[in-house]
Amino acid sequence: MDSVDKASKLGTRLMPYAAILRHDLASLWASRLVRLWLGGTALLTFFLVAGNWTQFPDAPLIASVLFPYLVFPWFFVVVVLGVSPVSGSTAEALADGILSRPVSRWEYLLATWSARVTVVLAVYLVVVVPAILVVTLADRPVREDSVSAYGVISVLFVVGLVLTFLVSLGFLVGTLLRKPLLAVVVLIFVWYPIGLILSMFSLEEFSPVSLSRAVTGQLRRPWRQSGEEAKAAANMEDMQQFSEQLGSFFSRLSGAAPRPKASRDGFFETKEFEDFSLFRVTLGYGLPTLVAVILAMLSFYWRDL
Amino acid sequence: MMEPAIRAERLTKIYGQRLIAVNDMNLEVPRGCVFGLLGPNGAGKTTTLRLLLGLQRPTAGRAEVFGKLCGPNAVGVRSQIGYLPTNPRFPGNLRPIEYLDLLGRLSRLGRETRKPRISALLRAVGLLGATEQRIRTFSTGMCTRLGIAASLVADPPLLIWDEPTAGLDPSARRFTLDLIRELGKTKTIVIATHILGDIDQICDHLGVMHEGRMIFTGSMQDMKRRLRHDDFTLDLEGDNENLLRLAREASKIEGIEARIGPGETLVVGVAEGRSRSDALAEVLKAVDACNLSLRAIHSGQNATENAYLQLLQEDEAHGFGR
Repeated sequence: MDSVDKASKLGTRLMPYAAILRHDLASLWASRLVRLWLGGTALLTFFLVAGNWTQFPDAPLIASVLFPYLVFPWFFVVVVLGVSPVSGSTAEALADGILSRPVSRWEYLLATWSARVTVVLAVYLVVVVPAILVVTLADRPVREDSVSAYGVISVLFVVGLVLTFLVSLGFLVGTLLRKPLLAVVVLIFVWYPIGLILSMFSLEEFSPVSLSRAVTGQLRRPWRQSGEEAKAAANMEDMQQFSEQLGSFFSRLSGAAPRPKASRDGFFETKEFEDFSLFRVTLGYGLPTLVAVILAMLSFYWRDL
Repeated sequence: MMEPAIRAERLTKIYGQRLIAVNDMNLEVPRGCVFGLLGPNGAGKTTTLRLLLGLQRPTAGRAEVFGKLCGPNAVGVRSQIGYLPTNPRFPGNLRPIEYLDLLGRLSRLGRETRKPRISALLRAVGLLGATEQRIRTFSTGMCTRLGIAASLVADPPLLIWDEPTAGLDPSARRFTLDLIRELGKTKTIVIATHILGDIDQICDHLGVMHEGRMIFTGSMQDMKRRLRHDDFTLDLEGDNENLLRLAREASKIEGIEARIGPGETLVVGVAEGRSRSDALAEVLKAVDACNLSLRAIHSGQNATENAYLQLLQEDEAHGFGR
């Protein structure tokens, strides 16, 4: 009885969040942008698969399908979706309609962010997963490729994480700049040369272009290599590498001379990108996503509507 | 002692170190009254309301609603308020029931409470016949009715309505004013407007804002008592010459100032201490004597307007004294 009461209290507490989430999901689904994107991405995926059907083995073909999500053009759509709910006239309308009700700004922001992330990931998975199934299961006139289930899942996860980060970045810039057009322009100017910026801080491993090149190798990676023992060892190495990258990032940022690099092959020196680390990439995109959402919340909290 | 519905102390809002929207404002709105927040455009009325709702943060000072501090995350404050913005905007793709249901969920109302209340509200605001329509097809009047229903979904004890009669046709305006009168029996209502006629008809308390400052708060009687004169306006029919003669004759009567008004009207000012009925009787005799026929007498309708204009003039004349 007590647990029923607790569940009902939790349900009541989450009611505004769930209501905004549901409303936003419905509005997004009804929006032209999302429908056009769904159509566009389905069409592009179809052409990529059909065009390379007899040429590429499984891994490069899947990588070519994922490339538009990581680099161009879907980055643009994802950013626009992230920017829109908290900037310009939308913010004024929502202030009158929703934020004048007993809803906290955290609840509103989390709900709209969740709705956008859900829609972006849904569109991406709805198109990409069937395409991958067709590519891997069909009997194609190309040489056999050793794409593993683990590889496919980890790559889907990484691209999903990058898309989530882009939505969050759009959210942050949208709350900071208010004008949606300006926010989108700023994001384009920040995101496109991101590879250059990241290489300045020895973080090129995280650039979308590097990730898209690493996808092929990751798709072929078997689950066994990432077993418990290997994982523990790898995680130690990853943590060390990640802390080195962070140290380098902050020393560059502060203008101090970077610490000497550890004697480890550079990311680009191994042409197959075999040292792609799911753990580091997860941290490299997961932490900034978290930071972007928190900063967006703080910025939105201090803002007048 | 019972907390007032609204209390603001030294409330100040400055936009970007440039524009002072609300200037060191003190305000108390007693519980259970219909409070008119009056002021010219740009006086700071809407900003004050948005500060109360926590949509904006005060630069200095504080505001409380039923003893709770207002702020961006003051969910407890907003659960006590039903807000109707000027020209409310709605998600056009929804139908009224869907919209009110969304607001009910935002107010954490369970289905058992929400559903019957929504149908009762739609009936009360006369939108029962429009439940199939999408909101984007609604007229201005229908949008205001929906906005009113939206502000009442959570059945809050305090209603804050920003220019509720703006852009309404006469019948919709009448409906809104009647509704405010009815709701005023059980709730505290704050109406921000610059339409003096509305204030006159529905409010029992009044606050006058000018250039971000609250220059008067009190009852309607207090406001009207501030008038230097009690004015009548006589609507007359006859020759222009006779009208001029009447103005001269009436001005000769002790304690009366008369002047020609717009159209064929005579504005009669009665000095303080002079009996109004006696003064009017004498002026009416003069109307007959000047061969003019009386179409109508307007009295008191402009009292609030005159008092309001007088307040604004006094405030501007005070200069540094303000």
